[in-house]
Amino acid sequence: MLVLALVALALLLAWPVPRALARVTTVRRGPRAALVLWQSTAVAAVLAALFAAPAAVPWLIGSAPRLRDSWPVLAVAALLTGIVTVRLLVSGDRVGRNLRSVRRRHRELVDLLATQGDGHTRVLEHTTPTAYCLPGVRRRVVLTQGTIDRLSPDELDAVMAHERAHLAARHDLVMEFFTVVHEAVPGFVRSSTALREVHLLIEVLADRAAVRRAGVVTTARAIVGMADGPKPAGAMAIRESTAAAKARIELLEGGRVAGLPAPVASTLMYAASIVLVAAPLTLLVLAFAGFSPA
Amino acid sequence: MPSTPRNRLGDLERAVMEELWTSHEAHPDGLTVREVHDRVGLDRGLAYTTLMTVLDRMSKKGLVERERDGRAWRYTASSSRAELTSETLHHTLGELAGDTRRTALLHFLDESTPEEIDELRAALAELEARNSAGVRATT
Repeated sequence: MLVLALVALALLLAWPVPRALARVTTVRRGPRAALVLWQSTAVAAVLAALFAAPAAVPWLIGSAPRLRDSWPVLAVAALLTGIVTVRLLVSGDRVGRNLRSVRRRHRELVDLLATQGDGHTRVLEHTTPTAYCLPGVRRRVVLTQGTIDRLSPDELDAVMAHERAHLAARHDLVMEFFTVVHEAVPGFVRSSTALREVHLLIEVLADRAAVRRAGVVTTARAIVGMADGPKPAGAMAIRESTAAAKARIELLEGGRVAGLPAPVASTLMYAASIVLVAAPLTLLVLAFAGFSPA
Repeated sequence: MPSTPRNRLGDLERAVMEELWTSHEAHPDGLTVREVHDRVGLDRGLAYTTLMTVLDRMSKKGLVERERDGRAWRYTASSSRAELTSETLHHTLGELAGDTRRTALLHFLDESTPEEIDELRAALAELEARNSAGVRATT
């Protein structure tokens, strides 16, 4: 029964699949394809959940008497579709608004305090080495003076290339999409390992841009230089873990994915992504085409 | 950068903060709108009321504080430049992280232990060795 298949697909893609995929760390060596694979997993999960109730419609119209036996399945499907729809809308609105207002306020403070470098660059007078970007129309790359003092010019180049890659590829939108889906999933199902993994992949992609610009060794030195700089008193609210920095250094060079040459592995991941997104679509189409397995 | 009204407002706020910070030692009680206008507004050909509006807005944002002095308000910066910079980096960035943590794409590093930093350096050394070996092999 196709409704049941959609429900099962949504649950699989929301729970065991992301957890399993996060463990396959070898795919990090093909970061772009891996990121697409993660995105299609999320999209397919959402589609399967949204299609579950609609898929029951043709079947309901066709044979009302069967309602008596199968109402539990229909109830589950309706519940799933309903909950996911509402939660997605609420989460999308909340995440988007929150993020933009916090970013705007932060950008205003940066503009008030920082000295302007070239283009979108702003420099804050602070000793902690830090670099980040504020995406959006009025985008900024923010560096601290500590970063400039600590890194050599070519290491600084690597850092700038990394941040510009984030801005150019709108990595913030990828993260925003995942955060919306993440928060739309009920708490007991959601897995922050998936979010962390996606974040790491985005960093690896930006690092690749830095490597193209400044070379592997320089980029690695820049990552380490940012890591062991002076720390201000008081805990920083958010900092990347040293483990993540180490993972990034180890991933700078690329290489084989699961023993396969990277292009082959990437092609396989793209193919898997297509299959994933096609699955819920196919199930819905079959439901409307009146297909019913004997 | 094109001089949009929003940019001009940002520049004005910046100039006002700058003025409040630099004059803080000489005028610990702060400056009146008239004084700020004399120092910041006149050169720019701005009206007194423009400065009044800007200062009012800035006090609503918490950037400046004001106290009654007879019939006028005296404005001071809420925090020094250094304090505001730390606050921007810690607090606001923490907010950026907050519940939308991973959306921020930040590159802060954790309060790492010396061992972890050593591991990081070892990873770098390995990579450096590998790459110099690679260079030698190909040349």
